[in-house]
Amino acid sequence: MGGSPAGPIDRGQHEVEDWERLADAINSALGGKGLQTTDQHRRALESLENYRDLSYYERWVAATEKLLVEKGVLTSEEIDERTAEIERRWGGP
Amino acid sequence: MTYEPGDRVRVLPSAKPGHVRTPGYLKGKSGWVEALIGEFPNPEELAYGHSGLPERPLYKVGFLQADLWDDYEGPAEDYLYADVYEHWLEPFEGGST
Amino acid sequence: MSDHSHEEAGSGRTTSPYAARIRAIEALLLEKGVLTEPEVQDSISYMEARSPANGAKLVARAWMDEDFEELLLSDAKSAASQLGMKPEHPAEFVVVKNTPEVHNLIVCTLCSCYPRAVLGRPPDWYKSFAYRSRAVREPRAVMREFGFEPPEGVEVIVHDSTADVRYMVLPMRPTGTEGMDEEELAELVTRDSLVGVNVP
Repeated sequence: MGGSPAGPIDRGQHEVEDWERLADAINSALGGKGLQTTDQHRRALESLENYRDLSYYERWVAATEKLLVEKGVLTSEEIDERTAEIERRWGGP
Repeated sequence: MTYEPGDRVRVLPSAKPGHVRTPGYLKGKSGWVEALIGEFPNPEELAYGHSGLPERPLYKVGFLQADLWDDYEGPAEDYLYADVYEHWLEPFEGGST
Repeated sequence: MSDHSHEEAGSGRTTSPYAARIRAIEALLLEKGVLTEPEVQDSISYMEARSPANGAKLVARAWMDEDFEELLLSDAKSAASQLGMKPEHPAEFVVVKNTPEVHNLIVCTLCSCYPRAVLGRPPDWYKSFAYRSRAVREPRAVMREFGFEPPEGVEVIVHDSTADVRYMVLPMRPTGTEGMDEEELAELVTRDSLVGVNVP
């Protein structure tokens, strides 16, 4: 990335949303308990195929999921199921 | 510790796959060792859940911007530091890149 | 189960599909006992407690006290601890000083590393692909976008935090501030000046 051509820098700042705070917190909490490391998290981020299409915290959620699934803590299926439930509770995706 | 401050070094042009902390733009470039930062477990191995031991020396390495970019728009004195692991460096005898 | 979700349901759906996904991950981790509610809450509080105001305090103290400046430049974590901050993080924390000869700019091209343990979350622009790409190659053009041009003869030094060090800039004390107290000085120190895209 360093040195690649790029356009003007967008200096706008979006309000951090609650889910983004949570993404940050889950990542830190897992790290704090030794369940993942900064380097594992970075590697998981770099391996995301859709890295360029996701926002900063979207990438974090995707990387966290990747690590949790890799470590056998959760499965993508159960995350899918629970996500669908939550979206139903929120009034449909 | 292989290097002392002031030593001229070159970043290996290695295309090693997987997680590395040496950015592409530095590969093959030469600069100088500014300081030894310390020794840390190897992030390339930590990234995959290994211990990363033995710890590797990490150096603050300086590069003249004019040596990094053909089109650098700034004075010849401008430079850049990156933190580079010893195993990504080799001694460099020549004057510049 | 946490009840953050009630807020979001009421206030209207955010557009990201990842909002529900991280809630799902949280719920599952809590149910399985991988994390506890207090652990998640502590992590949230940890980040909320950190902000650029911490950086401003460090700078203002350094401007007023030469010994503190020396400590800040040689052992920044100890300096931060001395002011009651808790810079707990495995990474090193290093402060680099601007002088009449040298202006520093910080970037992390690989992933947006930032001294979060002291300053909290980085600004969106710092994490952008545009900043990460251009700061190393055209730092002066980047600074121009932030309204800053270093004076004639000043060297620009870019620090790419590629490994286990997080950097912060110690800007120069602006002229005409001799009469100010530490609090007033701290107010001059902006988050952007701690990254080095401009000066206070």
